[in-house]
Amino acid sequence: MDLARTRLLVIWLAAGIIFDLLLVVDRNIRVNLGSTGEMTGYWLFGVMVFLALFHLRKRLSMLPLGGAAVWLNLHAVGGVLVLLIYWLHTGSLWPNGIYEYGLAVLFYLTALSGIVGYFIQRVYPRMMTQTGIEVIYERIPAHLSDLREEAKRLVVECCDRTRVDTLGRYYLNTLDWYFRRPRFGFNHVVGSQRSRQWLRQQDAYVRHYLNDEEKAYLDRLTKIARQKDKIDLHYALQSVMKRWLLVHIPLTAALMTLALWHLLVANVYAL
Amino acid sequence: MRELGDNSEAVAHLTRPQRWDSPFDPEMTDGDVSTLLERPEIASIDATAFPGHTPLEGILSNDTSIVKFSAGDIVVREGDYGNSAFLILSGDLRVFTGDYPHSLLGRDTAGKKGFFETISQSWTNSSIAEIRNTERYGRQSLRAEQGHTSRASQRDTQSRVYIRDIPLILDKYRTTKMSDGGLFGELAAMGRIPRTTTIFAETDATLLEIRWQGLREIRRFDEGFRRAIDTRYRENALRIHLRETGLFSALDDEALGKVADATLFETYGAFDWNVSYQRIRAAGGSGAGNEPAIARQGEYADGLLMIRAGFARMAVDYGNGQRTLAYLRAGDTFGLEELYAGWKAGSSVGLRSSLTALGYVDALRVPANILEEFVLPNLAAPPPGIHNQGSRTLADDALLEWAIEERFINATKSMLIDLNLCVRCDDCVRACGSTHGGNPRFIRHGRTFDHWMVANACMHCTDPVCMIGCPTGAIHRSRVGGIVVINDDTCIGCSTCASSCPYNNIRMVEIRGANGVALVDSDTNRPIVKATKCDLCHTNPGGPACVRACPHEALKRVDFQRESLEEGSL
Repeated sequence: MDLARTRLLVIWLAAGIIFDLLLVVDRNIRVNLGSTGEMTGYWLFGVMVFLALFHLRKRLSMLPLGGAAVWLNLHAVGGVLVLLIYWLHTGSLWPNGIYEYGLAVLFYLTALSGIVGYFIQRVYPRMMTQTGIEVIYERIPAHLSDLREEAKRLVVECCDRTRVDTLGRYYLNTLDWYFRRPRFGFNHVVGSQRSRQWLRQQDAYVRHYLNDEEKAYLDRLTKIARQKDKIDLHYALQSVMKRWLLVHIPLTAALMTLALWHLLVANVYAL
Repeated sequence: MRELGDNSEAVAHLTRPQRWDSPFDPEMTDGDVSTLLERPEIASIDATAFPGHTPLEGILSNDTSIVKFSAGDIVVREGDYGNSAFLILSGDLRVFTGDYPHSLLGRDTAGKKGFFETISQSWTNSSIAEIRNTERYGRQSLRAEQGHTSRASQRDTQSRVYIRDIPLILDKYRTTKMSDGGLFGELAAMGRIPRTTTIFAETDATLLEIRWQGLREIRRFDEGFRRAIDTRYRENALRIHLRETGLFSALDDEALGKVADATLFETYGAFDWNVSYQRIRAAGGSGAGNEPAIARQGEYADGLLMIRAGFARMAVDYGNGQRTLAYLRAGDTFGLEELYAGWKAGSSVGLRSSLTALGYVDALRVPANILEEFVLPNLAAPPPGIHNQGSRTLADDALLEWAIEERFINATKSMLIDLNLCVRCDDCVRACGSTHGGNPRFIRHGRTFDHWMVANACMHCTDPVCMIGCPTGAIHRSRVGGIVVINDDTCIGCSTCASSCPYNNIRMVEIRGANGVALVDSDTNRPIVKATKCDLCHTNPGGPACVRACPHEALKRVDFQRESLEEGSL
């Protein structure tokens, strides 16, 4: 077993032990007719603070605070642990009280965004690698612009040489829309092959009306369109991977604020 | 140039480029050459032994340069790589023979940052790119060359680090004098090994700088010169080298002397392989093919090959091509298994694999009869080599094959990114920026193969061609760890290193003053530039920030040797 797997196993074991201990303590308090809310609440808040520290770790990358991979393992396993502690704390999947409703909604949304983020980060990189190309996100507009210009140049050249404007009209009516900006974003995000199917269809529709010389131009045009399709996929997936944190982090901030207030209020009334 | 025809098959005629189209020093005159030919060191060379197409006069005219050094100028620095040797024409030089402070060499002496200095980067890093504290630049002893003949192409950019107080240095540190007629630097130049000592001008001095191509030709055609250089190497370095090699470590001095005397020196490929490699890459080709053969599969093993510098590909015939088994580098040997088997069987055994030079290889060949007399009788059977591919598929070796073709084998710390794990978050780039004043020192982009990418980050090469030709020694290996770093204070922005790097991993950046104002040369009004690259965060605690910052362990700094790839490190 490699080091990364061993490390993850150890972290899972540690999380399991922590939760088992919490269960034992929780049961003992309940047996003695005590309230476990304070104990589980502090644990819940503490683990949430620890999870939020991952962001701080990223900001302080110049300090030897351990590898970000270890932190991510702790963050992911801690995320599962915090769900379990939350259910232990509330005693149900859904709490009572309006403020607690708000807290629960934020809590579940934060957890959900985290889980979604975790899984897209596992799946999307492979999807991008399978395209066989690699592009820097910030350079995508420039790449698309180059492809668009190349496609236009081909179409103009075809019209000039063949003295027929079929391909020109095809470009204006169909491909101009396609080349203007990234397309089929949603389809790429959900792993659909729709864009490739669309390109095949458009190619088939117009091919019927072309002679051999024009078909050669269409082949080159379709090749450029397929290249753009790969870049579109990169754009769509990289956009999601860059933006999911813009959901997760603000949700976390809102949750921590409400949880802190909840903690203060609970303490004031407990006193 | 003359064009023929007017259709697409038109050809253009061009005089084939010749070796001496670009002389080392275009300012060398016939008068200079005549003067040189009268010097006893040159006159002792047998000019009649040189062929008509490579006369001695031609070598002097095209492969040498007369360089003047002012008192205090450092001529060669310990640890630097150089591709030329020097003959003292006049003046006195001093060689450091004991310890001395390396701050004298114009190198970065920065140590590890403390905790506060490290964390303070989070608020001291500027949002403006490439800010510099220009007050630092005056502290190093740096001066432009003055009043001497030098390579014209470098005249604008030549600056040197010099030693200020020579009498104090002579009093304080152990040095030896070198005078008129002394030759030095030839072993480092021919063997592509770092300079072993530092030499500076004690008085104003004039030196003849001979580039390695010229040295090679003189050594090839003049028996006396070759014998002199080989003898110096045998006396100074070969015995130590052999003694440090496990095979010969048990030999007594007499036997070791006999082995050293019989050892042959061989070089394969072009010393400046990086230049041709860059040309091939620029034309969209790969580094594969046309590798000079060192030994061929099936041939009789006539000696043990020991790689002294450079890289060699060990391969077996496979279909209509060659399948790589491994690559060898300095310290590796080739042919021992076959030599041992042949000696045991009492007959010759053919080599089970081929060896070709990847770029440049400097090798020693210990003849078979010498090995049979001194080494093999005391040797246990060497472990079987890696000739049998066993269950390895072509896919298993594909990454290694690719790394060899791309010459990434030169790397000791290439930035390898697993694109199946990389989420393109750029945390690595940000972490790099945060440890370098807000300026990332690599680009998360580069050559890809399957799901691997070698990003444009300095690889801290085994053969750091970027270090050849740095006029001030600003780019150098750190004393701890041997990583290649640039001293910003002494970098004069000549771009020699950036042009030499075959992997385009050094960036020239326009710098700004502390207040963010762009800095320009007061004479030319052109921007002041500095060379920048990955320094493996050598001053930062905790190692490379990029590796630590990757949450998915997609980024690693690797050595492409097979063992590294197989140890599960990827």
